Amino acid sequence: MFAVRTLARPAVATATSLSNAVQVRNMATLKEIQLRLKSVSNISKITKSMKMIASTKVAKAQRAMENARAYGNANNAVFLSAETKPASDSNSIFIAASSDRGLCGGIHSTVAKYTRNAIGGRPDVQVVVLGDKAKAQLSRTHRAAIALSFNQIGKDIPTFAEASAIVDIIKSSGVEFDNAHIVYNKFLSAISYEATAVEAYSEDTFKNSPNFAAFELEDDVLENLQEFTFANNVYWALVEGHAAEMAAKRSAMENATKNAGEMINKLTLTYNRGRQAVITNELIDIITGASAL
Amino acid sequence: MNVLTNSARAAAVAFRSPLARYYASEASVGEKLRLNFVVPHQSIYKNVDVQQVNLAATSGDMGILANHVPTIEQLKPGVVEVLENSTTVKKWFVSGGFATINPDSSLNINAVEAFSLEDFSAEVRNFHCALLISNTTKRGFMYQSLPFSFSIAQAVKTGLAEAQRAASSGGTEEDQALAKVEVEVYEALQAALSK
Repeated sequence: MFAVRTLARPAVATATSLSNAVQVRNMATLKEIQLRLKSVSNISKITKSMKMIASTKVAKAQRAMENARAYGNANNAVFLSAETKPASDSNSIFIAASSDRGLCGGIHSTVAKYTRNAIGGRPDVQVVVLGDKAKAQLSRTHRAAIALSFNQIGKDIPTFAEASAIVDIIKSSGVEFDNAHIVYNKFLSAISYEATAVEAYSEDTFKNSPNFAAFELEDDVLENLQEFTFANNVYWALVEGHAAEMAAKRSAMENATKNAGEMINKLTLTYNRGRQAVITNELIDIITGASAL
Repeated sequence: MNVLTNSARAAAVAFRSPLARYYASEASVGEKLRLNFVVPHQSIYKNVDVQQVNLAATSGDMGILANHVPTIEQLKPGVVEVLENSTTVKKWFVSGGFATINPDSSLNINAVEAFSLEDFSAEVRNFHCALLISNTTKRGFMYQSLPFSFSIAQAVKTGLAEAQRAASSGGTEEDQALAKVEVEVYEALQAALSK
């Protein structure tokens, strides 16, 4: 009997203190939970519609990417068969191709990270950044190296005219290079991507390739060829990066919607529990009041 | 008139194909040219075996068969003719680009824009029909008997005249260079369509 009492007492005590605590907390926060619930469900609506938009864009971007890939591969076949390789002490530049928009997972940080790793400890390397997001990330570590940056990129599927304009500005700004690494996100599947680089070469680098002599060409087309292939590779990188971004945005938004859904469930549960506790307490008050009379 | 040009084209093809076969068999036995013909937004041919490709390069017009010497050629505005086999010939008008022939007998054509010559007439035909419809509502059936080819030539002609005017009128150096390119493209297109 004694043992039961001693055991039962603390249990009762904790139960009352707990219910008191819950009661106090819930009385104060029921309104807050309601507000929170509202804002979370609004966010989930937004992310859901962003996901819908991204998934319609993915199909289009992927089609464009297939074509751009074929275009880029046809473009680079000549360098493959000429076995073009930059000299070990060549002057390289890096072109980080990303975009202006966020909310798409780690798509910009992979490009920035790859560029950073590729630069390594090399001094006086120049970097050209396409897109504000990658610019923000790269300027933290390589502010001095950024020679040029472009924004207004990635609103829609990039066009060849955009790529040519970028190459035109790079050329007219006097950025010299032997080989340019164009860093972009390679589209692996709808849920995965990987930062890689495609290379563009200068005239001299191409002229020094081992199999260059096998090709018949007139010397005055070399400069045009260099500019054209450079623009083609930038185009390819931009379009493939765009497809990867759209796919990443879709999965990021899908995850956000899922998380918001989970949060809504939890909050609803807590809200209902709290509400019930309040009702129970009120009932207890009424009943004890009535029985006291 | 349309029928005439069609039959003329068919005759030209019929005349050319035995020749092409002859050269192909001379150059290589049973080997084909692997063609990649791509523009930024479209792959026209992707790793397709064809018999011969004729194109207009800055160094002159050329025909390419299998086992051609590796070459890099800049394209000028003109027609790229693809002989898929001895009977099918497709013609594309390209505004410029590069063609590279690799040692493995593959030909890569990267063009900025390419349109099938048939598309050209189709596009302008739609335009002309629209013109007809708008005219019929205002002035009866005046233009209905006009041949379609008239409108294609006319559209190119107007474009050419405009470009020529821009090229000769004083503008910045860049404007004039642009207009000259435009004139070149229009002239090539005119030549291609009048064939």
